[in-house]
Amino acid sequence: MSDIALSRPVSLAIARGNGKRSLRIVQSLCILVIALVMISPLFMLLIASLKDDRFRILADMGSFRAFWVSDPTLSNYKEIAHFSGELAYGRYLFNSLVILAATVVSGLIVNSMAGFVLAWGSLRGKAALLALVVALYVIPQESIIMPLVVMMSRAGLTDTFAVQILPWVASPLYVFLFYQFFAQLPKELYEAAEMDGASVFRIYRSIYMPLSLPALATVSILMGIESWNQYLWPTLVTQTDYARPIAVAIATFFGQDSIYWDRAMAASVLMMIPVLILYLAFQRWFVSSFVGSAVKG
Amino acid sequence: MTLQQTSTPALRRPAKRRDRQRLWQEMAMIAPAFLLMAIFLITPFLLSFWTAMTNQPLVPRPTPVRFVGLLNFERVFTDPLFWTSLWNVTRFTVWVLPLQCGLAFLTALLLHQKLPMQNLLRGLFFLPAITSMVVVCVIWGTLFQYPSGPLNQIVGFLSGGTIQPIDWLGDPNWAMFSIVLLSAWQAYGFQMIIYLAGLQGIPEELYDAARIDGASALRRFWHVTMPGLRPTHVFVLVITTIQAFKLYTQVAILTQGGPNESTETVVHYMVRAGFEEQKLGYASAVSVILFVIVLLIALLQRKLLRRFDV
Repeated sequence: MSDIALSRPVSLAIARGNGKRSLRIVQSLCILVIALVMISPLFMLLIASLKDDRFRILADMGSFRAFWVSDPTLSNYKEIAHFSGELAYGRYLFNSLVILAATVVSGLIVNSMAGFVLAWGSLRGKAALLALVVALYVIPQESIIMPLVVMMSRAGLTDTFAVQILPWVASPLYVFLFYQFFAQLPKELYEAAEMDGASVFRIYRSIYMPLSLPALATVSILMGIESWNQYLWPTLVTQTDYARPIAVAIATFFGQDSIYWDRAMAASVLMMIPVLILYLAFQRWFVSSFVGSAVKG
Repeated sequence: MTLQQTSTPALRRPAKRRDRQRLWQEMAMIAPAFLLMAIFLITPFLLSFWTAMTNQPLVPRPTPVRFVGLLNFERVFTDPLFWTSLWNVTRFTVWVLPLQCGLAFLTALLLHQKLPMQNLLRGLFFLPAITSMVVVCVIWGTLFQYPSGPLNQIVGFLSGGTIQPIDWLGDPNWAMFSIVLLSAWQAYGFQMIIYLAGLQGIPEELYDAARIDGASALRRFWHVTMPGLRPTHVFVLVITTIQAFKLYTQVAILTQGGPNESTETVVHYMVRAGFEEQKLGYASAVSVILFVIVLLIALLQRKLLRRFDV
């Protein structure tokens, strides 16, 4: 009897283990299939950008040749890699990078400082300011864009880098993300540093900032993607190539009578690279910190 | 500097002065963010309410701007095209919600386990989400080609040639659905990540307890996973709905609201009124309406979250 009692759970455990393993293989296969299907459009883009004939690109699209290129060429990339002229994609890319870097760097500083003071400051109106930040978060960019365009053009800022950077530096969402992040760090750090006579700014810069890498990474990715992918705003405030970002430039392909898919594909691949690098650099911290704060918030 | 030197003056300094100093520093640190938000967020927001009640044109004219009260709102509400655009974004939302969130939920469930090359897989699924909508339009613009684009080839192959090629973007019956397809593909990565975090947030002990009680995998899913994900579901559905109501880029690039206004959206309608017809006051009225819609959705979220006591 004791034999039976002993062996039953054991055999059950083995059976369950087997079932689990086959279930996991099925699961893994499902993931792989979905991943391949979902990623194939991007793979097609990459392959198509290496074909130099736009009629061939479209002809190949209907078959497996969409995933294969026998004679890869970089001619599309060469054609658009200029800093002036009709296809000045080098310049548009550069413009976008300048706008991205300036927005993210200043955004990290400005929003984290505000979030820090909201978390640890002794200002009396702190709670009200925090409530204001939460309330402002509801305003969608789209519903302020009309008066903002007029304000910016009256200020003579049309066709500048500033007009594409300044409005998106401070954001209620990022102030709030930083606030939440700082508020969960131990208060003892602050008190100890204060006892040593460190200024508020010093405490922020030397103690809390080094600890806030996950928050910095998250905000960098979110701000980076947001800035990089802006479309409506730059179409409204840029008229010349001077500060035009690459997203707007690629969209003008669609206005042409026959779309130059070959060049559009190459420009699109170029546009994907910088955010991809940004994401790869920061993804380690991204998932946990972004989501933890966003869902609760 | 030794500890002695730094701490003594601080301690000796009158507490009041130190407090005041600290207050100044705090104000200096908080000022840039609030100043920028005051100029670039609060001011245009308040202005949009004011502008909505005037006949202001986009380009200043010699004739003075007149206060017209609620006339612009009346005009918006009596324009059938506005109602078409509102109906279109509603249609878009109703289609995109199950497709995008369902896909995100499914992949998150599949990915929520120890897998070889876990980060690479998650990165792959997230790739479309970091792809600019303009690039997405380039890709899907080719996929949608009529009559022999890849999507039509696939449809033809799967149906054994019985389904005729579809003019994805040119057929008023299909255009909005095509926009739904590419939008869901682009954005599901974000929702997937949110679901993954939601799944990670469910305590493992709950599953163990359910297992000891003899609950099957399906029952564990319904009685542990689903209740544990309630706040996540609410959050994902709400942000997706808000995003959906702001639909613009895809439509502006691929269909310009056509064919036959079947893809006209509220934001596209607003931009057209403001910048093509140069009626700034009218467009501002539309932007105020958009804000109210988004606000109502956000309030609904708070109510739902409170209902589920989270």
